[in-house]
Amino acid sequence: MTTEVVGESSRARRLGGHVVLGLLSLVCVFPIYWLYATSLRAPQDVSSLSVLPWPLSTASYTEAFAKNDVLGMLVNTGVVAVFSALGQLLVALLAAYAFAAWRFPFQRLLYLMFVGTWLVPFQATMLPNYVLLSRLGLLETLAGVIVPTLCSALGVLLLREHLNSFPKELLDAARMDGRTSWSALWTVVVPTLRPALAALGILLAISAWNEYFWPAMVLQRSNAVVQLGLRSFMGTEGNDWGPLMATAGLACLPVFALYLVLQRHIVNAFVRSGLK
Amino acid sequence: MVSGTFVEVAAPARNREAGTAGTAPASRESGWSRIRRLAPPYLYLVPAVVLLVVWTYQPLAQTFVLSTYSWNLVPSTPMVDVGLGNYERLLGTPELGRAVWRTVVVILGMLPFTVVIPVAVALLTRRVRGRAQGVYRALVFAPMLVAPVAGAAVWQWLLDPSAGAVNRVLGTDVNWLNTASTAQWSIIVITGWHVVGFAVLVVTAGLAGINPDYAAAAQVDGASRSQVTRWVTLPLLSPTLAFLALMTVLLSAQWTFPLIDTLTQGGPVSSTTNLYYLLWEYGFRSHDAGLAAAAGVLFFLGFIVVAALLTRLAARLSHHDD
Repeated sequence: MTTEVVGESSRARRLGGHVVLGLLSLVCVFPIYWLYATSLRAPQDVSSLSVLPWPLSTASYTEAFAKNDVLGMLVNTGVVAVFSALGQLLVALLAAYAFAAWRFPFQRLLYLMFVGTWLVPFQATMLPNYVLLSRLGLLETLAGVIVPTLCSALGVLLLREHLNSFPKELLDAARMDGRTSWSALWTVVVPTLRPALAALGILLAISAWNEYFWPAMVLQRSNAVVQLGLRSFMGTEGNDWGPLMATAGLACLPVFALYLVLQRHIVNAFVRSGLK
Repeated sequence: MVSGTFVEVAAPARNREAGTAGTAPASRESGWSRIRRLAPPYLYLVPAVVLLVVWTYQPLAQTFVLSTYSWNLVPSTPMVDVGLGNYERLLGTPELGRAVWRTVVVILGMLPFTVVIPVAVALLTRRVRGRAQGVYRALVFAPMLVAPVAGAAVWQWLLDPSAGAVNRVLGTDVNWLNTASTAQWSIIVITGWHVVGFAVLVVTAGLAGINPDYAAAAQVDGASRSQVTRWVTLPLLSPTLAFLALMTVLLSAQWTFPLIDTLTQGGPVSSTTNLYYLLWEYGFRSHDAGLAAAAGVLFFLGFIVVAALLTRLAARLSHHDD
């Protein structure tokens, strides 16, 4: 009898759980849905409140492409995201390898240098960085957006954790074979670490794609990346909702496409980095 | 920590012992091979450390220096040494106090989205498992992936005073983003929408990591479900909660920046100008590098104090699971 009561209350609790999560999901997804719904309405229905955008129309997208070089912006942002993520991966992999495979003097101090970056807010370093970029002639260039981001402390910490649980016997075996540490890195460590590297790479690429502050500082006179193009569109044609939503939708599309394919891995990568 | 390494680090110690014992110098390795043996980890670290120094630590030091000068960011104009003048000027402006207060409001306003709601949702939905859980995870996490400016654009549309869905559903005509009393809260809610799903997943993962034996033992001892939650689960969850609180404190101003810059530009009547935005305005609108640097230094010191307090709190709370 008691088990029955427990079973019933547990079913009620599960139902309650579904209600809570269902409501939260609705709140979370509705603005995204509304963004794409508005962008797909015909121009005269843009401010319609009907839930389904019908009849569908691509007029807003045609207009968005006509008004701005959306394609160019997407390509530029893609370049920034890919190079930034690959650079961060490489730099972080080398550093994490050093921390995991050797013990050396000042190891702890050097490691703390990476952890310490959490305490240095961006706004405390932005002016000298801006001046340095201007001396290097990198202001208003994509390289200026990429280069300063290349050392990701998060990447180093996460990869070091993965490498610490890496079977040391494999490294020893490589050493017995007379391989150099460099060749062991690429023939033993990287192939084993591939899933972790892929997850981290996607996380870094998405962050770089969505980054706003740094591009806004470096590219003050142009709208080379999609976030800035969107901002200037909001400023100049703020009430042209259809094309604005179309541009915003395109700015999110590559990330969502990636998310549809790799959903579980992306969520895990973010949550893992959060739990660090 | 590591036993099977490429280089046995015990070696230098052995060498030194050998040296003091006065063994034949012939067995001592030459300086060159010693360097070759010790160099690899440092070589692997060179790119990362150089980048860290160039883009984080050296600029940080420069900010301290810059904060004692008066300069307008133009390379051709001279920098004038003003000592602590910038700090006096900064602390003398009423703007600063207001910006600090608004930053505190943003952080406090964010805590429900990053801690309170996630804990409630995670506790209420522990029984939801399997495929359904996967679908919910995917949905609530999605806003985290929306580019901040795209989020700003869609919320500007939703909150539009005349045609926006929110006002038409509520039957109101509030100009949410251009009214001093509602702008700050709109920014907080939009930022909360971006991060709440992520925080829920972090808490859920934290809950899943708790050993169920503790709760079972408490129930055997006659504790009710709410007692178990209050006295067993929440204390065991406290490291996760401390992490989320720390993240909120350190990142809130940063999260709101794109929204403020695109939606309100700090207005109306400065009602959304928090510390982060004030700094940006000093540096890149008024081109007052010294003042911005002084504010940056204070920001950095404030960060350290808050982070130290929260880390200490987390350390005190996390002994429960030992």
